Amino acid sequence: MKRWVQFDGRTRCVEIPDDVGNPGHHVCEVDGRVLDVDVSLGQEDVLSLIADGRQYRCILDGDAVIIAGHRYEFAMEDPRSLRGRSGSGDGAAGPRPVKAPMPGRVVRVLVAQGDEVEAMQGVVVIEAMKMQNELKVPKAGRISKVAVAVDATVEAGQVLIIVE
Amino acid sequence: MEKVLVANRGEIAVRIMKTCREMGLSTVAVYSDADRAALHVSYADEAYRLGPGPATESYLRTDLILEVARRAGADAIHPGYGFLSENATFADACVSAGITFIGPPASAMRTLGSKTKARQAADLSGMPRVPGSVTGLSSVQEAIATASQIGYPVMLKAAAGGGGKGMRAVWSQAELPSAYVGASSEAERSFGSGEVYLEKLIQCPRHIEIQVIADMHGNCLYLGERECSVQRRHQKVIEEAPSAVVGEDLRRRMGEAAVRLALSAGYVNAGTVEFLLDAEQKFYFLEMNTRLQVEHPVTELITGLDLVEMQLHVAMGQKLRLRQDEVQLRGHAIECRIYAEDPGNNFLPSPGKITRLLQPSGPGVREDCGVYEGWNVPLEYDPMLSKLITYGATREAAISRMLRALDDYVIGGIRTNLGLFRRILSDSDFRSANIDTGYLDRLLSQVASDKDGSVPEQIISLAAVILSERREKVKASSAVALASRWKSAGRSEGLRA
Repeated sequence: MKRWVQFDGRTRCVEIPDDVGNPGHHVCEVDGRVLDVDVSLGQEDVLSLIADGRQYRCILDGDAVIIAGHRYEFAMEDPRSLRGRSGSGDGAAGPRPVKAPMPGRVVRVLVAQGDEVEAMQGVVVIEAMKMQNELKVPKAGRISKVAVAVDATVEAGQVLIIVE
Repeated sequence: MEKVLVANRGEIAVRIMKTCREMGLSTVAVYSDADRAALHVSYADEAYRLGPGPATESYLRTDLILEVARRAGADAIHPGYGFLSENATFADACVSAGITFIGPPASAMRTLGSKTKARQAADLSGMPRVPGSVTGLSSVQEAIATASQIGYPVMLKAAAGGGGKGMRAVWSQAELPSAYVGASSEAERSFGSGEVYLEKLIQCPRHIEIQVIADMHGNCLYLGERECSVQRRHQKVIEEAPSAVVGEDLRRRMGEAAVRLALSAGYVNAGTVEFLLDAEQKFYFLEMNTRLQVEHPVTELITGLDLVEMQLHVAMGQKLRLRQDEVQLRGHAIECRIYAEDPGNNFLPSPGKITRLLQPSGPGVREDCGVYEGWNVPLEYDPMLSKLITYGATREAAISRMLRALDDYVIGGIRTNLGLFRRILSDSDFRSANIDTGYLDRLLSQVASDKDGSVPEQIISLAAVILSERREKVKASSAVALASRWKSAGRSEGLRA
């Protein structure tokens, strides 16, 4: 089967045999380059790869793989979904969210709905592990929504404020 | 002494309980609602709930902790570090309740806990200290007068301070008024006291501290120094013992000064006297920490002593079992403080579930750990997960060992600062011990080299694909298994009907 994986800003095409989960020798291809590897899948999310005598212990951790103490973030890609992705609303126009960069608790909300704000103005302070972080709006505009209140517990990535 | 209550959490609570168990003492843990599943609770012989997650409603509640001690019949309390460890009122309350406080007497804590009073004590015992005021400043005018006397740059500091709060470096008189107001109000908010004082800013100093321990019979030892110059925002990141720049003569002079200060204040139990060391190898008293330090393991590894065991013996009223000339330093030890924070993203905290934990072991590796695989790191407390300590015959050997241990260490599910340590320990300035308290900020201001590891990108891509495919398969098959279990359950129910 063919899969596309993106890391370090580049997409690579990886071809693996369907039975790659079986232990032993497999012939794989990365960007057309043939790789002879010996595969051993032990514990869940742990893989030992031997290529040309070199052994690599690889551990899956969320969207990253840890090899020899280093963490490499990656994303699996479906090439069909890549089309039409460009130009999706990440520009300066339109509403922009302020998201929580980490799980935490809301300590202060510095704006109310309808307030006019400057670009990079602080709007919410969240705290986790004795550290407070002030979150800023990405652009100037009007606060169209305040989705959190003081003392609320928030998840990483949760939308807190929307500026238009 | 038969039963010890440990009024703390995390790695230090576990570490204290280990020694208690070795000495045949029973252990009592206390916990907040956020910590019911914490490692220190499952390690203890007895455990009692204190209250809700926030420390002010649990680990800082002296009344609740003393109530638990009474209920459990504990005859001693070890406060660990942080929380109530330097709270003289708590130490007094323990004594009034007939419970041994494993730490210094409240009077010594009061003398040395306030930085201005400690500076007065340093003067009385003839210890060199950083030039500046020895009492709190009463006004901006007084601050300006003192600063022009000692010369800029100066440092404003909170008398009750710690952890870098209420501190401001001031480079000219123009900056002083606003810095004074800022430091004072930050101190008021953090410590409940706005008292600030002023001292000369020593540029690029090394942070060197002396471990002391005193018994109730007037004996006091120094157990060598630790160097903690690798700091970020005045918080220690890496500690080591001995210091690469402290020779025998300097060690003896600093050690004897530290012992003099401790004895002059009637100090008992373990404590640490912190110094700044300038480029001319002149040392200046900074402050005394009246508790067991986070970084005590590096001293344990090079002296072969168990500091918690010594603390317990001292608290039992015993005499110290060794003389100063029997304290021998051997080899070199380094400690890395492993935090749940993301150095790649402005050191943002990273609480959450630890989905994978592979811990290093092997020759010369010690880990004082407060977490386990599957544990949800709560967001209420300090982000320290564990301390990784390595020992070697030389500094180079200890560094190589640490790099090996860091490569062995895998923490999945949350972000940690493991990669930061690899960067520091590979840096040529660190390796040649060319460090001071500004070292880490300088290193972090440089762009990290792109070369992150030596794994070929084909291997990374292939591993990512194989592991992702397998995870998809496991997900799909567990969904099928779940569905078929429902089906078979339905069938068997049907048969029964």
